[in-house]
Amino acid sequence: MKFLRSLFFGDRFRMLRASFWALLFSLAAGALILFLMGKNPVSAYANLLQGAGLLPKLKYAGRQNQLTDFLSFLDAMTPMVFASLSVATALRAGFFNIAVPGQMLAAGFCAHIVMAALGDALPSPLAKILVLVIGIAVGAALSACMGWLKYRFNVNEVVTSIMLNSIVMYLVTFYINTFYVNPITRQSRPISDAARLTLSGVRWNGLKADFALAFPLAILAAFLLRTFLERTTYGFEIRALGLSRGAARYSGISLGQTTLLTMAISGALGGLAGVAYFCGCFASIQPGTMPGMGFDAIAVALLGGGQPLGCVFASFLITIISEGSVYMSSRLSVEPEIASLITSVILIFSACSASFGGRRGGHD
Amino acid sequence: MSEQDFIVEMRGITRRFPGITACDGVSIQIRKGEIYAILGENGAGKSTLMSMLFGMIEPDEGEIYIRGKRERIDSPRRATQLSIGMVHQHFCLVSNYTVAENIILGMEPKKKWGFFPMVDIAGANAEVAALSERYGLKVNPEDVIEDLSVATQQRVEILKMLYREAEILIFDEPTAVLTPQEILAFLNIVRGLRDQGKTVILITHKLEEIKQVADRCAILRRGKLITVMDVSSSSTSDMARMMVGREVSFTTPKAPHDFGPAVLRLENLTVGNAVGCNAVNSVSFEVRAGEVLGIAGVSGNGQNELADSIMGLRKSQSGKIFLNGRDITGLSVRERVEAGIAYIPEDRHNVGLVLDFTLRDNLMLRQYYQAKFTHRHFMDEAAFEKYGEELIRRYDIRSNQGGATIVRSMSGGNQQKAIIARELDLKTPLVVFMQPTRGLDAGAVSNIHRRIIEERDRGAAVLLISLDLDEIMDCSDTVAVIFGGRISRIAPAASLTVDEIGLYMMGVRGGEVA
Repeated sequence: MKFLRSLFFGDRFRMLRASFWALLFSLAAGALILFLMGKNPVSAYANLLQGAGLLPKLKYAGRQNQLTDFLSFLDAMTPMVFASLSVATALRAGFFNIAVPGQMLAAGFCAHIVMAALGDALPSPLAKILVLVIGIAVGAALSACMGWLKYRFNVNEVVTSIMLNSIVMYLVTFYINTFYVNPITRQSRPISDAARLTLSGVRWNGLKADFALAFPLAILAAFLLRTFLERTTYGFEIRALGLSRGAARYSGISLGQTTLLTMAISGALGGLAGVAYFCGCFASIQPGTMPGMGFDAIAVALLGGGQPLGCVFASFLITIISEGSVYMSSRLSVEPEIASLITSVILIFSACSASFGGRRGGHD
Repeated sequence: MSEQDFIVEMRGITRRFPGITACDGVSIQIRKGEIYAILGENGAGKSTLMSMLFGMIEPDEGEIYIRGKRERIDSPRRATQLSIGMVHQHFCLVSNYTVAENIILGMEPKKKWGFFPMVDIAGANAEVAALSERYGLKVNPEDVIEDLSVATQQRVEILKMLYREAEILIFDEPTAVLTPQEILAFLNIVRGLRDQGKTVILITHKLEEIKQVADRCAILRRGKLITVMDVSSSSTSDMARMMVGREVSFTTPKAPHDFGPAVLRLENLTVGNAVGCNAVNSVSFEVRAGEVLGIAGVSGNGQNELADSIMGLRKSQSGKIFLNGRDITGLSVRERVEAGIAYIPEDRHNVGLVLDFTLRDNLMLRQYYQAKFTHRHFMDEAAFEKYGEELIRRYDIRSNQGGATIVRSMSGGNQQKAIIARELDLKTPLVVFMQPTRGLDAGAVSNIHRRIIEERDRGAAVLLISLDLDEIMDCSDTVAVIFGGRISRIAPAASLTVDEIGLYMMGVRGGEVA
């Protein structure tokens, strides 16, 4: 009873409640749009769940069933978890990291060219580990630069983020188009299966499935991050900085160090998202585009209330929408963009709820 | 007396906040044309009560009658329509607008320029000038707010209410930031307003002022109305006892004793402010062990910059700071804390506390990283809790959920207690108090003054920077006056009078630099 009361009225679950309402409102708004388009919202949402492998479809193609759909779903969710953790980490220190797309692209690209240069020199497990290490290093380095600019010259991190995204995208596009293009697909040459983080198209029990090897790692990262933020002195300093810059300075916390550390961790997670995406879900990079997932991650982090485990949960929900949208649009013949629309509405509502749910009443 | 004689009547007002009842069935009746004081400790509910009269919050229970008619005041806009005005503790002025522009803001006199409506500034200036003439509030309508002293800004706030034809004027802690001479002038203004037929409500904890101007005084304690007193027939000590619920002494007893060696020594310290001017200009003085050095001055004469540069929050441009003979000018904040400085900052909300942290975490801000509380960067929550509970008990910090309370939900007095507990428990050789009792009530003030004297008697050097001259006179062994970033007078407290210090504070005197 007491638990129920704290669930509905207490301070402890306030963020959770805010996210819940954001989600509810967005789904209602999405339902309204679908309804106005003359579609049945209930079956549309059921199709989303079917597409994501959470409900059985009416019929499956050869070598596929609900389990393979669900495994593909986990594969798509993996980079989203990393990306949202990246945004959430920065948020806790009061920074807005919208450079996740740039960090993802840079990390994925560097992993690609290093692995291509190494060829088959490394055994598969070592190659995969090296891909992860490159992702962490590249993301952390890029993001730490932004942190340094912010601390040293007080450059707003949003501005550097936007610039960084463009710089990375054009450099990568130039390099791929000039030296590294696959002339048939017009994408970068694919990464070798030995280095790829997703085991793609594995024959198993008469099925053909994708296994995301980085998925357990993403879940582990969420738990580690939670412990880091809540239990360690570094986390204490990051949270203090995020809640009150003045008080953090006053308590003798080194703002420069804390800023750099936060941004490096955030970037490392962004880099991991990049390798899980470009060397996992996909095997190659399409030049001239930025991974939109890096932007969606902002919504996901807000929906998750900036909490690591909240991010996992929010990634789960958002990935249902993005993964299920293909199936929904083919079944109901609605445009797949409707899924992006719902995601955007969630972003707006969760941004609003973060601000009204985040305030506490004071007195006298 | 019939119903109609009360211009304001609040009946059975109750307002609850999570975990606390700020006002509990309070009923007051205010007559037209009187000065009505509302007295109470911090968290007693006096600001909450008046916020309801001004429509900033609504009561959970109870009724408000204005001029005998029941009203629902759901916004400050409604309150203004009912000719209620309020001057908040922190002024609400646009700092780069002129006096007249601030006064007319929101209800500008309009004229037409062809088709285009425009603000009639010339008309506004004339109107403001006439208004200030009529009520004897000297201001120049064309002055820009940021160039004005605090006392003048207050007059602008009063004019703002009068321009909106307010009949009921509420003042929230109006004298907290004024000099003694300015306070006298302010009290005269209040009397003048009453003589012009206005009803004045004063929220304050300064008993002397109530005694001087108020006709009646309502005393609140923990959200309940204790009594309404006729000021002329009761003494200040009666009022204080009613307010706190026990005897309060106004002078802090301190035994005379000899000072030890200099703990803090400043040598020609010069500090710049945000816009690059020298806010502190070649200041030299020393504070000895067992001495309370009080720095008096009007707000904005370099006090913040002085305290911040001693703590290392602001870089000094030249000069040196010595702590126990060691040059600490180049050290970081943390190094200075470890070298032995405790600092109670002026701004509790943005500097002294992380408002959204728990009380326990706030009490740990200085020590969380030390071996006692942290093993290999992992914080020992049991040790946090134990230490937190001990401080909460020893310093009597009250909150609704103990150490787990979010500090933002605590009352100002208890927030300050938390800062003081954290800092004084470091037992440092130097303690810097910056405006330690700002906005606190008499009970909390005497408690903090006692702590200051305890620090002195323990043998610490205490630097007390305050805008409240009574506080300086009450606690200090030595008084220094700061004006325009320079120390204009420094002398033993016993050899100075309040009026003399007041003159130095306003820069009237101060040629002879000590």
